[in-house]
Amino acid sequence: MEALVKEMQDTESGGVPVRSQKIFLTSIPAAFMGYDLIEWLIMRLEIEESEALNIANQLCQYGYFFPISDSKNLVVKDDSSLYRFQSPYYWPWRNKPPDNVDYAIYLTKRSLRNKQRHGLEEYELEAFTNLKRNLSNKWDIITAQAEEQVKNQKSMKKPDKLISDSQEKAYWRVHRPPPGILGSLEQVPVPTRCWNGVKPRKKTIEDCKREVELLKTSLYRTRIKVSQALEGLLQHVDTYTEFDPLLVPPQPSNPWVNEDITFWQLNAPLVDIPTEKRVRKWGLSMEDLLGDPTGVQEFTNYLQKEKSEENILFWLAVNDLRRSSQSQVLWKIQEIYENYVKHGASNEVNIDNQTMDKVLEGIKNNSRFCFDAAQEHVYNLLLKKDCYPRFIRSDYYKNLLSNGIQPLQKKRFFGFGPTKKKASTTSQPNQSQGSQSSTTVVPCGGALSKRRGSDRSLSGSAHEISHFGVSSGTHTTIIKEPKVPHSHSQSNLSDIPYRVKKPSIAPGASTSEEVCPWETPSTPPRTPTRNRKNSTHLDSEDSSSDISTGVTEMSEKVQRCLLTQQHTLDCGKKLHVDTYETPRRASVSVPITHNNSSIESARRKVSSFEDNSTTASAIHAASSVFVIPSEKDNKLNKKPVDYALSISTTSATMKASQKSHGFAKTCSMSSGAPIISVSSATDDVVVVDCPFNPELAPEEDVDGAHGENPTLEVTTYEVQVPSHPETTPPSISITMQEPKAPLAEPDIESPATELPPSEMPVTNEDVALAECVTDCENDEATTVKPSEGEDDEARNTDVCPWEDEENCKVNTPFVKKYATLGYL
Amino acid sequence: MDSDSKSQASDTVETLQKEAEILKKRLEEERQKLNDVTLEQVAERLDCVSCPNIKPRRTLKGHQAKVLCSDWSPDKKHIVSSSQDGKMIIWDAHTTNKEHAVTMPTTWVMACAYAPSGNFVACGGLDNKVTVYPLILDEDVSLRKKTVGTHTSYMSCCLFPNSDQQILTGSGDSTCALWDVESGQLLQSFHGHSADVMSIDLAPSETGNTFVSGSVDKMVLIWDMRTGQCVQSFEGHESDVNSVKFHPSGDAVATGGDDATCRLFDLRADKEIAVYSKESIIFGANSVDFSHSGRLLFAGYNDYTVNVWDTLKCVRVWLLYGHENRVSCLQVSPDGTALSTGSWDCTLRVWA
Repeated sequence: MEALVKEMQDTESGGVPVRSQKIFLTSIPAAFMGYDLIEWLIMRLEIEESEALNIANQLCQYGYFFPISDSKNLVVKDDSSLYRFQSPYYWPWRNKPPDNVDYAIYLTKRSLRNKQRHGLEEYELEAFTNLKRNLSNKWDIITAQAEEQVKNQKSMKKPDKLISDSQEKAYWRVHRPPPGILGSLEQVPVPTRCWNGVKPRKKTIEDCKREVELLKTSLYRTRIKVSQALEGLLQHVDTYTEFDPLLVPPQPSNPWVNEDITFWQLNAPLVDIPTEKRVRKWGLSMEDLLGDPTGVQEFTNYLQKEKSEENILFWLAVNDLRRSSQSQVLWKIQEIYENYVKHGASNEVNIDNQTMDKVLEGIKNNSRFCFDAAQEHVYNLLLKKDCYPRFIRSDYYKNLLSNGIQPLQKKRFFGFGPTKKKASTTSQPNQSQGSQSSTTVVPCGGALSKRRGSDRSLSGSAHEISHFGVSSGTHTTIIKEPKVPHSHSQSNLSDIPYRVKKPSIAPGASTSEEVCPWETPSTPPRTPTRNRKNSTHLDSEDSSSDISTGVTEMSEKVQRCLLTQQHTLDCGKKLHVDTYETPRRASVSVPITHNNSSIESARRKVSSFEDNSTTASAIHAASSVFVIPSEKDNKLNKKPVDYALSISTTSATMKASQKSHGFAKTCSMSSGAPIISVSSATDDVVVVDCPFNPELAPEEDVDGAHGENPTLEVTTYEVQVPSHPETTPPSISITMQEPKAPLAEPDIESPATELPPSEMPVTNEDVALAECVTDCENDEATTVKPSEGEDDEARNTDVCPWEDEENCKVNTPFVKKYATLGYL
Repeated sequence: MDSDSKSQASDTVETLQKEAEILKKRLEEERQKLNDVTLEQVAERLDCVSCPNIKPRRTLKGHQAKVLCSDWSPDKKHIVSSSQDGKMIIWDAHTTNKEHAVTMPTTWVMACAYAPSGNFVACGGLDNKVTVYPLILDEDVSLRKKTVGTHTSYMSCCLFPNSDQQILTGSGDSTCALWDVESGQLLQSFHGHSADVMSIDLAPSETGNTFVSGSVDKMVLIWDMRTGQCVQSFEGHESDVNSVKFHPSGDAVATGGDDATCRLFDLRADKEIAVYSKESIIFGANSVDFSHSGRLLFAGYNDYTVNVWDTLKCVRVWLLYGHENRVSCLQVSPDGTALSTGSWDCTLRVWA
């Protein structure tokens, strides 16, 4: 850089235009005008004026030239103001940054001279006195030198003196700027950043040996022709250009440009219906597929269908092992060995002998990389050359592709933004509203059903067995009260409905407004109607789904909770979820299937509650309760085996004005949720209920999220228990966590600490997914259920992109639960 | 780089250096053999990249001193930034709200990074340490901090290699190191640079076991994380390498240096394939990043600007003004929708 700057200066002194002595009325020696400089820069560098101005200013900042008339501001203007070049002696890189002694000499010099013209500025005076104090021992020398220099100067001719004076002054202006002005010359206090370039560290023999070694090996490295490499680059860019949001505007819109975050919702890490573009990208390469959590999910689902999921699972597990913390390496190695490598393992991977030997060798050393050889083998030979091409050619993929969301114009989104977003996120096809914007979405719904049919564990939501109940618990208190008794009753029956609450709400209430633009007043009015519908008709789900899902979910939640409870009481009969466009909403249908009169009554109650709540609170906290009594289990055994999985997704979106309400609601919601969970857990498990409520309530801001957190934790615990189906499903131990623990904590710590026996810590989304996948694999039957859970979750995530992580985590537990059910 | 075979260099060092010189020459010959075409020639047939209309969309104000480093959260909305006065701020960039502010017990926090889960951030600087903070909403974050690793000189860069459990750091002591977050154990150290490591970047593959580092010794090295060995090296810069970044394809590495150039090195061809420079750009580049397709290269310079390069045609296509001091850091968001820049003018900006 310095070289470049110098070169520039040289060109100037080398006769290129600008350097001219402009004489201005009272002749000012050795000066040039601003626009001359700019012009020269423009000509010389072939750049535009703005850039030239920028460069000129930079150089001025660095002290290569300076304005003559204005000693305060180092700014170059494109006008006739005058500037003067700094003498090379003072150029920044010529010498070290000046030390204080030099500065002291300079100041002394000035103080020795004509007060009027050379008077010190205030900050200079201050510096002067400071220096005097600090350098008192050298002060004699300093003054002597200063006097000497003053004397010398006097012998100079006047113009020269003027110039050198101004140059010196400018130099110090640059290096000792007045306070409050940021100097661009300030150094990074990093050793090597010193101006003169610090000598490189002395090389040791080892360094040299290493270098020679490296050179030797690189000498025989196989290279490809540059043309080939370039072709590759070109191709890559060509292929991916359409996926580059900065080159091709993303659909529907770039969230940074117009505040519409639909894009993020559609492209959340985990979605049940990926956008068409996303699916297309999976087809580009296996890396693209595996780089996308949803892609991994779909791929796994597909392989599961093909009964060859062990490869991808193994691959994922090894990837996780590679990056897991040191303390976990040992048991993870063991686990992978047991599950995938050992002869006769449940998911044995097909590895040739040679690789196997390597692996065994590595295991002896407990190396975290011990499976790498096998992983590579699996990846290249099995996944990449076999599974992946099959996947891409499969109808499964084609379905994904054809069903992918194709975000359209903004207008639509704006018009129906709320519904669409929710729809997309929740993957609910909007039946009622679907006609408007959700036409695209609706097909997705159909697709979903297909996928479900096709064993799509994660994404495919609706299973015949699983019931999806969505209840809107707007009024917490009201809802709670009714819920509680029901839950208790359930507990009495010893049915175990699992309750999982998801926080779908934005972290900050303040943000929520902006974040959830779709959640506007328009939705609330609809909700009550839906709720009523729900109360009256089981089909409420559909309607609700059509409308803002959140609202519907809430209302449905309540109902479902009740229903679920009853169901559980009834020993969970088979619940057939019709593959509606809104599969989860199918849960509505479920209640119908239930023949229990009690259910009906419950519904009524619920409905009433819902009405109250909905009307009262314009805001919606949507909690969806999934009741998933395992069909088989139910029929076979009316034991505790029947797990009602109730997932309550509470999405509290409020307007600013309604924030207070929102708080209340959230609190109530949270409290309600724990209650439910308790009921579900009642069988054998510890009840986690009440304590949460009070604690939750106090929490403020991120209220929705916080409140939900405890519930989440609870759910996770529950999930964990089921995750070890082999142990004793009925006996579930739920550990209480701190209700106040922030979201992050539950995710990270709780699962990790308490779930150690479980396959993996849920900390990473990917990991979680992997686990889910594994679980799913284990239980084929269960897979369906998890799919629902995940769908819901995914939807939630979609709604609140920032909470994706949480949701995901939550999701994992769900999956586990489902898995356990399947085992049962 | 071997120029300083100074007086007391022992025989072995000298002989080794001579050998290295010879090897270098041969290596260069080998590389030249396959150098059949230049990027410009190949890219001639391409259309010019359509001018992206990139404008400043957000300005994040709140730092009291120079912003030195920033990193996007995996959620695509949040940004963590660190500054000269020891402050680290977590921003919701979309709303421009500050969500956390942490004061570090040091100045010049030169590195910060988000964990893949979004639940942790790591940072460090002149304190020579890398410290991990959990992001907890309602608790004082600094109470839960954890010092993971310590270098013998300042820490210039850090990242989480696809996992919350590990941290990779680069340091002024000319080494890189891989740490186990939980135990603080040094898992692997990487020796090979002869001067301060300024920047590191992870290869963009799922299994990615390699990373790249750039150093004040003008070298760019590719490392195998498993063995700790350097597997490839590139020379070319005439001054400090300030920033390195993998091309999204994983086959190339872009660098930005104090010599006011950015360069592109191809791993498979094993050589420099492009230099992005312009006569009017005379200040050093501090930070580089690719757009998602790899077509655009953003580079933040000391002259307060961000230049946008067409990586294939090797021409500058855009110039972003806005900052009022050096652009110290720059990063494209995880989903490629935006570009964040941090500057010595105490602000961060988001461009899209």
